[in-house]
Order: sequence, then C-alpha cells, then structure tokens
Amino acid sequence: MSKSYKEYTITSDGQLMLKKADSDQIETVWERYENQLPQCGYCEMGLSCRICNMGPCRIDPFGEGPQKGVCGADADIIVARNLGRMIAAGAAAHSDHGRDLVEVLADVAKGKAPGYSISDPVKLKKIAGEYEIETDGREIPAIAGDLAYAMMEDYGTRKKELTLVKRAPEKRREIWRKAGIMPRGIDRETSEMMHRTHMGVDNGWQSLLLHGMRNALSDGWGGSLIASEVSDILFGTPLPCANQVNIGVLKTDQVNIIVHGHNPVVSEMIFLACQDTDLINLAKLKGAKGINLAGLCCTGNELMARHGIPMAGNHLMTELVIATGAVEMMLVDYQCIMPSLGKTASCYHTKMISTSDKARFPGMEHREFHPENSQKMAQELVKEAVEQYENRGKVYIPVEPVQSLGGFSVEAVTGALGGTPEPLIEAIKAGKIRGAAGIVGCNNPKIKHDYGHVTLAQQLIKNDILVVVTGCAAIATAKAGLNAAEAIKYAGPGLKEICGALKIPPVLHMGSCVDNVRILILASALANALGTDISDLPIAGSAPEWYSEKAVAIATYFVASGVYTVLGPMPPITGSMNVIKLLTQGLDDITGASFAVEPDPEKAAILICRHIENKRKALGLDSRAL
Amino acid sequence: MKQVVVHPEYCLGCMQCMTACAIAHSQTHSLFYAVLEDPVPKSRIHVGAGLFGEGFPNRCRHCDPAPCMTACLSGAISRIPETNTVYIDPDKCINCASCSMVCPFGVIRYHKDISAISGKITAVKCDNCHERQIQGQIPACVEACKSNALTFEEPSEAMKRKTNKTACTMSSETMKIPAASGFDLLNAVKKVQAEIKTC
Repeated sequence: MSKSYKEYTITSDGQLMLKKADSDQIETVWERYENQLPQCGYCEMGLSCRICNMGPCRIDPFGEGPQKGVCGADADIIVARNLGRMIAAGAAAHSDHGRDLVEVLADVAKGKAPGYSISDPVKLKKIAGEYEIETDGREIPAIAGDLAYAMMEDYGTRKKELTLVKRAPEKRREIWRKAGIMPRGIDRETSEMMHRTHMGVDNGWQSLLLHGMRNALSDGWGGSLIASEVSDILFGTPLPCANQVNIGVLKTDQVNIIVHGHNPVVSEMIFLACQDTDLINLAKLKGAKGINLAGLCCTGNELMARHGIPMAGNHLMTELVIATGAVEMMLVDYQCIMPSLGKTASCYHTKMISTSDKARFPGMEHREFHPENSQKMAQELVKEAVEQYENRGKVYIPVEPVQSLGGFSVEAVTGALGGTPEPLIEAIKAGKIRGAAGIVGCNNPKIKHDYGHVTLAQQLIKNDILVVVTGCAAIATAKAGLNAAEAIKYAGPGLKEICGALKIPPVLHMGSCVDNVRILILASALANALGTDISDLPIAGSAPEWYSEKAVAIATYFVASGVYTVLGPMPPITGSMNVIKLLTQGLDDITGASFAVEPDPEKAAILICRHIENKRKALGLDSRAL
Repeated sequence: MKQVVVHPEYCLGCMQCMTACAIAHSQTHSLFYAVLEDPVPKSRIHVGAGLFGEGFPNRCRHCDPAPCMTACLSGAISRIPETNTVYIDPDKCINCASCSMVCPFGVIRYHKDISAISGKITAVKCDNCHERQIQGQIPACVEACKSNALTFEEPSEAMKRKTNKTACTMSSETMKIPAASGFDLLNAVKKVQAEIKTC
C-alpha cells in the first residue's frame, strides 16, 4: 500500500495493524477497494439492470446512448427497481435473523434447546400481552411457545397489520394506512418486492418506492423488532455495563476467542462455554492464564450489551484482528463476514469456524449450530480453541484498550431517567438537550474508517444533541472514548449537565444493528408522552459510513417512521433525478421526513443541527440560529 | 478518416471497453469461451482511476510521429496507412521494451498473445481493430461504449463538437446545462469522500 495508513483509518490500532498486515503481506479490504477503482458508473448510478435475461441493460446517463432497457424500462424504473431489491435484501437479512431467534424460543418452550433459557420472563409476559396471549397463571414455557407461534404468524400473516406496529404513535399508523404502506406480513412485503420488481410487474417508480417503505417497515416494526425483543427474552434485556474496546482487548497471555457476525444464538453459547471451569483449567494447563472472549461487529455488540464482553473492533477491523496472530479461534455466524477472512487466517494459527446452516466461507471449518446441539458444540469448539493456544506464534497487540459503557436498552434509558421519559422531555423542553440523533450503520472503505461516525458524534454532542449509537457506529464511538461517562467533557454545557447528573455518557450504546428498533421504540415513547408524532420530534438519524443492504432497509424504515436521515455514501440512485427528488424532498409530504446525503460528517452535523432546531421551533420551543 | 476519439468526461468507468477489446483479440471471439483460451486474451485499452475514482479509458493515440516507432530497434513498428494504425509486428518484436519506455501514455504491455508465435512474449498494444475495420466493423471498444466516451468518427467532427461545447461554457451561467445532473452529483460525492480522507 503506497498511501499513508492515516488516509485509511483514524484509529491508532487500525493504523498500526495495517502496517503489520502490510509486512505480513496480508491483503486488506482497502487494497481490494483500490483494485476495484474505477467502479462501474452505471452500477454506481443504479442504471444497470440484471433482473431479466433479455438484458443485462444499462442506460446512458448523458442521454445520447440507450435510454431504455430491452423491456422498455427507463432510468427512473431501473433505479427504483434496484433500490427496491436492496431494501428487500436488507429486510430479509434482519428478519431472517429474527426468525432464527423465534425458532430458538419455540425450542426452549418445548425443552429441546439445552443451555438456552428464558432470561427475562417479565419481558416475555409483557410481549405476550401485546400479542394477546393469556399469561395469568400459565407456565413460562407455555407462554413462550404461544409467543413463538404468534411471532411466526407475523412472518406470513393474513392480518392487515403487523402486531407490534401498535407501539408506533396512532398518528404515525394513520399515515402508513393512508399511504398504503402499513406492513402486513414480514415475509410478505419482501416477497411482494421481489414480485413487483420482476420484469413486467410494477413499473411505476413512485409505487415501487412506496412499497420499498412498506418493505422496510416490515423489518423495522417486524423482523428486526422481533429479533431484538426475542434476544432480550432469551438472553436478558441489556443494562448499562462497563466494557473495553479496540484491538487491545486481546490478551497476550490468554486464549483469545472471537465471535463475529450477528446472531446471539451462537455467541451466547460460546460465552457460557468460556466460563466452564474445566475448560479454563485446561487453558491453564496449556500455559494460558485463562480464556478471553471478545466480539467483532454486531454479535459482539449483543454480548457487550448483555455481559460486558470486550469488543475488538468493527467491520473494517475484522481482517486486522486476525493479523495480530493472537486469535486462537474466530467463530462466525452470518452477515458482514468478509469471505476474505479464511485466507487471512491461513497465515496465522487462527482456526476459523462457520456455524450457520445458511452461511459458508472459504477457508473455514463448518460446524453447524442448532438449538439442540449448541451447548455441546460450543464446549467442543472452545476446547479446540484452547488446544490451539500451543500453536501460537508471535503476537502483536499494539494498543491498550479504551473503557466504554454499553447496554442502553430502552428499559435502561428510562431506568437511568428514573422510570419515565419525562426528565428527557423536560431537558429537551428546557433546551439543555436540543434533541437526539441516532448514528448507526457500517464501515465502508469509501469513507476514512471511523472518521464519519466519530466526527459526527463529536460535533453533535458539542451542540448539546444526545447521541444514540448502534452497530459498527457504536464500536467506532466507543473506541474514540465517547461511550464513557467521562466523555461529557466533549459535550456542550446543557448536555454535559444532564448527562453528568444522570451519570450517563453523551453517546449511548443501544446495541447491534437489529437494535436500531430500540431507537424507534424510544422515539415512539417520546412522541406518545408528548401526544405527538415521531416526525414532530427534534430527532434525526444518520448512517455516515454505511455499505450494506441492511443499512438501506434501516434508513428507509427510519424515514418511513418519520425520522430525517442523513446518509454518508451516496446510494446507487443518481441515475434518476426523479428518484432523488422524491427521496430527498417528496417524502416529506408523505411521511414527514426525508433523506439527505452528505459524506462530510462536519457538514452532516450542520444539516442535523439545523433540522433539530427547526423541529424545536415548530414545537414552540426555543430555537438556535445556525 | 474515421478515428477513435476519447471523451473522458463521459467515461463511467464500467470497463466494458476492456472486455470487448479482449474478446476482439481472442481466438474464439466469444465472451464465454475466451476466458478458457491459452493465452487468456488481454485488453489493449486500460481504464484507470482518477483522483476521485472516476474512470478514464487510456488507449494508444497512434501518434504521428510515434515515439515508439522511432525507438523500435528491430523495425517491428510501422504505420498502416488505411486505418492510420501504429502497428507492432509480433514476429519482428524482440521484446526489448524500448517502445514502452518512450510511450508518453503507458499503453504498451508485454505478454503472450495469439498474434505472436506460440509462447512468445511480445509488445502488445491497440491495433485500432484493424482486422475488424477491414471487415467493415468499428473498433470493439467503441461498439461496447454506451455513454459515448469512445466514439469512432472524423476527428474534425469531434473537434467541432468540442469547440461548440467550449463555446457554451462561455455562455452566461443561467444557460449552462450539465451533461447529466446525476453524474455530476455522484462525482461531487466521490470528491468529498476523497477529500475527507486527507482530513
């Protein structure tokens, strides 16, 4: 790599590890990105269509070449169809993750999932109540069984509305009904999107985009929400707990095991196996001081939020974590796992294990986890990891970990506020906190690693805006020290006062990327408490370094739920100015919110501050000029 | 005489010209079979990435006078007048790299090619699709380009258009029409992405 590592990442562990990877001749995501340049402009603009076999087709954006695909679809239709399919894929990914959790819940109810249990029976009963399941005097497994069944129904329902949309403010639901975007079934909306985008079906670019919102809502108020809630039922509702982050969480004198991926179904069992006294003793016998479990990406976020398990890094760090030479075993499930990892690991002693029946990777050993064998499998694998310790070569762990606080579920946030959202509302009314913003999403080599997340968070808290974070964004701000109570020193005076009094950080870690729904639920709670709609609140969303289709679904359900959302990288839509205009302006008339694109986080912060001040003004609150 | 003219401002970086060039210089002339050939055909047009990752199709200019022709020690490089092509004779090429050293555009590569006797590594570059032109076809790269970044036309025609386009930039601000608003927007975003990397 010829460029300075500082152009790739703002993190010191990242820069140092890039140097190490370079000397070890490890190929990284940045190198592969540069090898792809220039990227195809048709694809970047959403103007290439591979949907049918009369094609592939592309539209010349300059107007002289072909303006229609073989079928006759113009730029607007092709861009809308492509975007629709991105949303469908994102919604499918999150929702299928949710389904796996519901299956575990069903197996727990039947007593067929040894090792798993109902960790939060209170939440189980509360949600069962929302599904109108009788809870009084009934055994926990019976309720769990009924809830799992009812949730499965939401996937392929014959109902007119998903069950959990009831949590959205009534005004919001009325908007969805009126626009015809009320989500009906989780699988149904994705399936319908694939149908509509088939050649010769929906060729109205506006109606395609509207269905895109319905599809995204089926994720945000369906699949992802179920994923989040069932994870809480099975593994416990997160409460604030201290943890450590960055590559320094790896230990030179311990067996290091990394879990990477998304679903806590696997990582929770590994977590339990790592506490096994026999295995810890075995590690000691092998010369290690113990077993150190650390996370990467969202399954790491899940464990961090519930158990304070340390976090080694986010998406772009995954190859570099292996390059420390300190990882005995990495276990992956699915989503955001680069297929390059097996190759990276082959240069070290690291054992790579794939665990999901639906995700295989080159250079990894496949050991499938199912609810009935998870406990045993986890024990076996942790044992193998411990045995791998002896094969370790030289290790390089160049930094000390950073302290952070994780686990701010909605319950934890309201808990910190004394049981109701009232103190937060009062602080917003008084103008001490101007509003709140969610910073979510991925890393993308198109944006300097973590620069988007960290800069935006710094700018927002400086302007007295409370920041909530999830996913890779949450890991970025944690590494920058913003998820710790001491970070109030970077906050504006009002936010500093409130967070200081509550002893909470100005940047709250709300969990993994399915946990973005926690932000929606918090926003709904605020709107309900004020008797208004989400779109009236002084709040905003942002995905400064997004890359995945899931992020497209998330951003779309944010906007469809009434949250103004600023994206960093441009989605593949610039081929149609009509689509851009609808997404950045037209949606305001339908959902009361719209998208913006701004890759420079300092400018994105200005957009968000301005939006929040405008919303304050509309609510009759004091408003700062910007 | 019609020539291939490059209009970099219209290049989308899709690299379809490269694929088409490789196929045009293969044995089978088929996308599906060409990749199975030995030697695997290689493109003679090379799409590079600019400062912000934007594309640029780098192709032999068939200069006149051509530095490569002057530098060639074995007399392998000559001009074919019918298509104004600077042509490398693979049989005469001694693979000394003199031509690529003097080429101002870096468009001469060295590899095995079906035009040379089996296994011989030779200097390879754009031949203006001379064979195709004789058969009445236009160069493969131009045929593949759907955004008119590559055109096959009388240079005077292209120059006239360029003159008019330049004249338009002298028109008052309100009269200016962007080539494609979406493409300008995409490039603006890519520019910011590149700029913040140096922050």
